[in-house]
This record gives sequence, C-alpha cells and structure tokens, in this order.
Amino acid sequence: MRRVFALPLLALMAVAAFAGTDTGFESRCARLLEVASEETETSFFSLAAKLRVRKDLPRAYAILDSMSRDISMGGMFYAYTLIGTYLHTRPMIPDSLHRKVREAFRVRTMYRGDTENHWVMYYTGIYLAAQTWPGEDGSRWFNGRSSEENFKEAGAWLNAWIKTTTTIGQGEFDSPTYMTVFLAPLLVLYEFAADPVMKRRAQMMLDLLLADFAAEHLNGNYGGGHSRDYPDDITNPLAAPAARVAWLYFGQPKDEQWDEVRFRPRHRGSWETVFGALGSYRLPEIIYRIATDRSTPYVHTETKRVRNIIRFGDVKNPPAYKYTYMTEEYVLGSLHGGILQPIQQHTWDVTFAETAPNNTLFTLHPYVSARELAMFFPEELKFLAGEVDRYHLVYTSPDKWNSSSPYEQTFQNRNAIILLYNIQKGERQPHVDGFFPKTLDERLEDQSGWIFCRRGKVYIAFFPLKPYEWIEEKVNWRWRSHDLKNGVVVEIGSERSDGSFAEFRERARSRRPAFSDFDRSQTVEFRTSTGDLMKFSFDGARMVNGQAVDFKSYKLFNGPFMHAEVGSGVITMTDKSGVRILDFNVPSITEK
Amino acid sequence: MPAQLRTVLVLPALMWILLPGNLPSAPGADRNPEAMRIFAAVFSVQGSVSGSSAGRFGVFVRQAADTAWSMVTRSNVFTFGLGRFERGSTRRLYIAAGNGLHRSTDDGHSWRIVTSWETMEVLSVVPDPVDSATVYAATPWGVFKTIDDGLVWVHKEKGFKRWFVRMLIMDPGDRRVLYAAAEDDLYRSTDAGESWEPLKVGASQILTVLLGRRNPEFIAVGVEDGGIRLSEDGGRHWKTAEGIGNSTVYVIAGSPDGARLYAGGWQSGLWESDGTGRSWRRLWADPNVEAIFAVCVDPRDPNHLLVGTDGQGVYESTDRGRSWNRGGLMGGKVKQIEFYP
Repeated sequence: MRRVFALPLLALMAVAAFAGTDTGFESRCARLLEVASEETETSFFSLAAKLRVRKDLPRAYAILDSMSRDISMGGMFYAYTLIGTYLHTRPMIPDSLHRKVREAFRVRTMYRGDTENHWVMYYTGIYLAAQTWPGEDGSRWFNGRSSEENFKEAGAWLNAWIKTTTTIGQGEFDSPTYMTVFLAPLLVLYEFAADPVMKRRAQMMLDLLLADFAAEHLNGNYGGGHSRDYPDDITNPLAAPAARVAWLYFGQPKDEQWDEVRFRPRHRGSWETVFGALGSYRLPEIIYRIATDRSTPYVHTETKRVRNIIRFGDVKNPPAYKYTYMTEEYVLGSLHGGILQPIQQHTWDVTFAETAPNNTLFTLHPYVSARELAMFFPEELKFLAGEVDRYHLVYTSPDKWNSSSPYEQTFQNRNAIILLYNIQKGERQPHVDGFFPKTLDERLEDQSGWIFCRRGKVYIAFFPLKPYEWIEEKVNWRWRSHDLKNGVVVEIGSERSDGSFAEFRERARSRRPAFSDFDRSQTVEFRTSTGDLMKFSFDGARMVNGQAVDFKSYKLFNGPFMHAEVGSGVITMTDKSGVRILDFNVPSITEK
Repeated sequence: MPAQLRTVLVLPALMWILLPGNLPSAPGADRNPEAMRIFAAVFSVQGSVSGSSAGRFGVFVRQAADTAWSMVTRSNVFTFGLGRFERGSTRRLYIAAGNGLHRSTDDGHSWRIVTSWETMEVLSVVPDPVDSATVYAATPWGVFKTIDDGLVWVHKEKGFKRWFVRMLIMDPGDRRVLYAAAEDDLYRSTDAGESWEPLKVGASQILTVLLGRRNPEFIAVGVEDGGIRLSEDGGRHWKTAEGIGNSTVYVIAGSPDGARLYAGGWQSGLWESDGTGRSWRRLWADPNVEAIFAVCVDPRDPNHLLVGTDGQGVYESTDRGRSWNRGGLMGGKVKQIEFYP
C-alpha cells in the first residue's frame, strides 16, 4: 500500500526537480512558524506565529494586550504589523482585544516616517485599517481623517508608488537589509486588500520585487550594488534579512540559520518573513527558476532611481545604473557610482556562493558630508550627521563599510571592474578602504602588482594603482590606500573558467592595467581575460573595445531572465520553461 | 506682601477655580486676553529614533505666568512650526509637522491632518489672516496653497529655481505679499503665491526671514554659514550685517515695538541688535546650548524673552537677556515659540 503512494510521489518529485519546481515551500513555512512561535522576543511576528500554531496562547494574548495599549510604541513599523497580525489572527482574538487594536489607531500617532520603506509600511497599515473599520468619522482616527479619507489617501499613495517603481525604478532598491520591510507590507496588502485591483497590484509588486532579487540572487546572497545596507549585512551577506527571504522562497541557502552564530541575523530571525508563511502568496515557479538556475553565466543590468532629492539637485530622481555578472560560483555587481542613496549605499562587491561567513570583497571611499544628507532630509545641515550617527551609528566613522561618495566611480564589464577615486583635498576621510575577509583561503601579494585571492574555486585578481597598507581586524583584513587620486582594477575568475589558481595568476600577470600619468589623466586601460579592452576615465567615458557605454540606453531590467523598458510599466520574465508578463498599466498577469 | 492681602487675593482665585465650570479643563480654555499662552513646537527629543517609538514630542503649551508645560497634541508628532488664525469667533491652530499640516478648530482639543501625501513634510505654515480657508505651507518641494480649507492643495512653483523652502512669512501690511526662505535665495510673491521672484540676497541656504516692524522696507534673512543679510529698500539692495560674522542663523525675531532684534543659530548663542539690524552683539551663550532655533519676545513685556534650543528645551529671561533660567521641555528640540491669546 505504501509503495502505491510512494511511487507517484517520487515521480512527482522527479518531474518537479527537472522542471525547477520548489516542493519545499510549505514545509519551510511550517518550520518558520514553529521557530517564530517559540521566540521570546516580543513582536507582532512572534505573536502572530503563536496564535497561528496555537502555542502559548495566554502569553500571546498578553503580548497583544500590552502592545495594543502601550503608547510608547507607534509609527509605520507598528501600523502595518499591528493590522497585519490582527487580520491574520482575528478569529482567535477575544472581543476585548478587538477593541484595543481598534483603539490603537485612534490614540497614538502612526508616524509616517521619511523613507520609501516607511511610507510603504505606513500607507499599507492605514489602508487596511481604514478598510477594516469603514464609515467612522475623524474623531475615531489619530489623524482626524475619516475612514474613507484615510482609505483614499493610502490607496492613492500606494498606487503612485507602484507606478513610480514600475516605470523609473525603486528608490531603496535591492537592499538585503530593507527588502523585508517592503515585502512584508505587500504580503499583508495582498492577503487582505478587498479591492481586487489593489490585491492584484500587491501580488504583482511581490512578483516584481522577488524577481528583482532572484535575478541577482546566488545561494541566499543578494549580489551586486545595493541602495541601502547595514554594515553587518554587507560584510556578512548571509546574515542579511534577504538571506531569510531567499531561504523561504528560493530554498537557498539550504541550511536553517536561526541558531547559527556565524550568520545569526541582527534581528534574530528577520521575522517579517512570518507574514509570508502565514499568507497565501505563492512564488511563481518562473521566479524560483530565475533565482536558482545558474547553469549559464549572464549579464543583468537595471535602471533604478535615486531617492527624492530635495536640496542640492536639479532632478528629483536621477537614474541609478546597475550592472551584475552572475555565475554559478560568484556574482560581481556594481552601481555606477556617486551619491545614489545617502548614508548606507553599497556600491560594488564580489560575493561567493559559499557557506562560509564574510563571503564578499569590495572597496569604498568612506564619505561624510552634511550636504549629502541635506540632499535627502529636510532638517538643518549642521545636525544631520549627528542625527544619522544616532540612528545608524557609523556614519561619521572613517572605518565604515557603507558609503556613497561623489569621489567614487565604477566601470564593470562582465567579470572585471575598474574603480576610480578622485577624493578632494581637505576631505574629512581621505582614504580608500577594501574589505578582504579572513575566510579567504589565500591572499598573495604578487611582484607584478596584483593581489591574488582565492576562496574555494573562486579567484580574485586585485590591482591597486597606488600604495596601500593592511590593517588586521576581527573578521577581515582592511586594505587601505591614502592617495586622493586612486583606483583599483579587479577581475574575478573560477576553476570552471580559468583552470587552476596558478594558471589564473599567470594569465593575469601578463595583463597589468595601463595607467601612466594617472594623477593627471585619471585614466586606466585594462585587457580582460575575455579579451575586451576596457578604458575608463574619472568623469569621462567608459569604453569597451573603443565603444562608449551609454547608460541612457539601459533598460529598467535587461538580462536573460528579465526585460522592461524604462517608463513602460511592463515587466517580462523569461526562462526556458515560460514567460510571465506583469503589465502594471492594466494591471494584469500573463503567462505563456 | 502682607499675609492678609495674600489671603484676600488667593482665596477668591481658589474659589473661582473650584466653582463648577471654572476648572481649567484644557489648555487655552481661558479666553482672557490678558492670559497669554506660550506655545512651543518640539520637533523631537534627544535620543528619539524615527519610527521605533512614540517619543514625547509635538506641541506644548503653558500659561505665560506658569512654568509647567502640557502637551496639546499626541506624542510622536515631529513638529517644525506653528501657525494661528483668529478672526471673529473663528480660531484655528496649525502645526507644520513631519507628517503634514495639522489643524485644530477647537483650541487644541482635537487635530486633523489637512494635507495629503503629495506635500511630504510641512516645514512652515502661514494662514491667511482674513480668509480662514486659505493657508500656505512651505515644504521640501516648495510652496503649497489651499483656498478651500485643505481639501485641495496646489503647488505654487512658478518662479522658483529650486524647490526646498524652509520658511514662509506674510507681510503684515499686505496679505498678497509673501516671502519664502528657499535653498538658493529669498523669494517674494506679490500675488498671493501665484508667482515668485528671487530677491538676489547674495547668499544661498536662506534659513529664516524677518520683516521690519518700523520700516516696511526692512528685510533681514539668516543664512547657513553666512550670518545675516539686510535690505533697507524692500529687497533691491542687500548688505551683510556686522558683528555676527558668518554664523549660521536659524532665527531672527523682533520685539513688539521693533526697537530690538534678536538672532540665534548654530554654536554662537543669542545675538542682539537695535531695530536697524546693522550691528549685532552677542547677548548670551551657554556651553550646553549647541543651537538656538527659536526666539520669542513677550508681546506685553519686551524684557521677557524665550529661546528654543536644540535638545536643551526652553530658556527664559525676564530682564531682556541679562540672566537666564531653564524654561522647561528639557531634552526637546524646540523649533518655534509663540505667544497666543
């Protein structure tokens, strides 16, 4: 009898494996809820998990009672998690707690915040709360607006955000740290929006953000440049919340990491994923395949947008250009450079498909400027650096690992990248830093001028244009160079493409970058391992084999898996098994 | 004061308070014109982090003669500025805040946000003094105006070269004339905000603006790292005020009679000038006070000054700045202080 059932199951699994189908999502959801329900940290996520799996109910009710009454909490994080938890667990909640949850939206200011993710959370919370309690006048809401007014404004903002994101790109794009606070509210919106059009848009935005991640995903890592990231998530990519999203939706990394000290996420579990486990959104199989099919190396480019510039700019949202080269063993990716996001930008890195921690290498200029912050925040210039330091702790540190700098520009061509720095005299932090993890198997300073590194089957050739020093730190070696006019050429290889590490080194030795008269010209030429000639000048052209790279021709998405024109609102996902088209103008989803 | 006299004065006062209907139920319930109240806009408190908790900041009020402040908004309202409309029996209070423009029509008992998401933060508010339905708001995206009590806000950008406007004021002599302290210049509108012209102050990052009480042609602006720039001919010519150097000036205020001017800013203390504004001298500095955002002179007593500071709350002087006391709201970043009846 058992064999009768087992055979079809095995056949189904074999077909699923062949087709690139994820068969483990439901079991991961169950596991996530089980772990989250045992969490002692007080949060709406653990509370929702407890209620869903009916574990420790008295404690769960006590938490809800406390969190709905405690007016020391409030704001956008609170708004969407409260209503999301409430709507997910409403049938299990005693009447007295229903009233307390409702009152929370009257007696406390749900502050809207000042960043894109804040507004997504806030307006999702307000939209669903107004939908849940319709027909009430302004006296019943913290902001004095009626249910209908709140519903209308929240819907208008959400629609405007969706339109902006699908035409000129996301502002806080591709963030391993912040992506969960976009996904979680969208998951709640998808689950509970009564308006079928809003529900469809939420579903499509989930598809889009997850496909955006999938195209640059490698074994749990979010590769390439990121708009915003916490330093710990940059230097240890698998500790970022994005890794928990990848685990849930892509099944990678395979290992659970909640109790892995090496990867233990800063926020313990990135519990926002609980809303994914509670809800009915299911990842389209094509996105799963985009995230996991690394059989062929590929180039993927994107256009994103700079966050709203309110001062010191002529354009509200200039474009930000991304270039990513993906292989089975590593992902090399970059933003084009300059100030694209304040405070937490991560401009480029190479990240290895590794289970070891700190599986990444990158450089930056640790720029500090009140002017940079004033581009994006309305408060007084003199206070901004201090304010930001309070929130993000490291902004003014000369040793920080996240930074946008007007003195940094990049030029990437497949597996090679040139970084140029032109730091102005008098800058507060006049040096360039590089992160070299101690988990590298080898780090060799070659007489040719190259620094060769190896981690497993991934090879790195790193050519500094100027003198440097090494500073030993806890998990890494800090490469530091003090010349103001500076630069680095980096090329990545692997055993698959380059043979042995010795062969890789030997070939690189014969291809030293050309940079004579660099301090005057700030120009570098480099012949890559694939034979392309790259030429790059700071503030000048980026040339491949004599042809200038035209960023203006960049699509919103362009690669083997995703395509979208800037301004179109239509995103096409393609792989060998099918096509999925998201047309946000309608909105509609078409599968072929 | 003799004890008997104290009793004579205090007992009737106590009886008045204890009589039904006379309990001081809410801030501002007393409409005695002599009973001025002080309103303070507290942007945030030291240590608060946006979004993570509901900090105790917003708008606070106290009676002028009192020392205890009470909050008239809910917590967690990042408050940039205040505005007030009073005409006949219609009274309105406005709060320019991080989540929009708040309006109260019942003296602060309840509030309603009257802007929508398009305006983002509201940094400064100017209600029209005649038409209660008309209000102007300064925002990071420029000036917005409503003529229907906040139902519709129109972006008034004609003439601006940059969009960031930190402060907006209205000419008390002509409600069609407004001034906008903007990123690149001081702008003026003479048609109720429909169009704007730069006044070519000769500096950028205009942080504050004051019009003269005695001389209607007098305009003073505070500048980021540029001290104070003055015009005595309605904005045709500008010169630099002496004494204050290249300080960053967040606020310039005048005494009710226009005889004295005060200025405060970044790490330079409180400055004083005669009504011409041509020459300034430092009146007061405290090592604990990193910046002064607000200066307010009691309209009934020019010796009574209040300043709003960064993180140190309110300081108060009753002898025109010779000595100072803590005025409460410790930890608060106080952006504006106003005496309202």
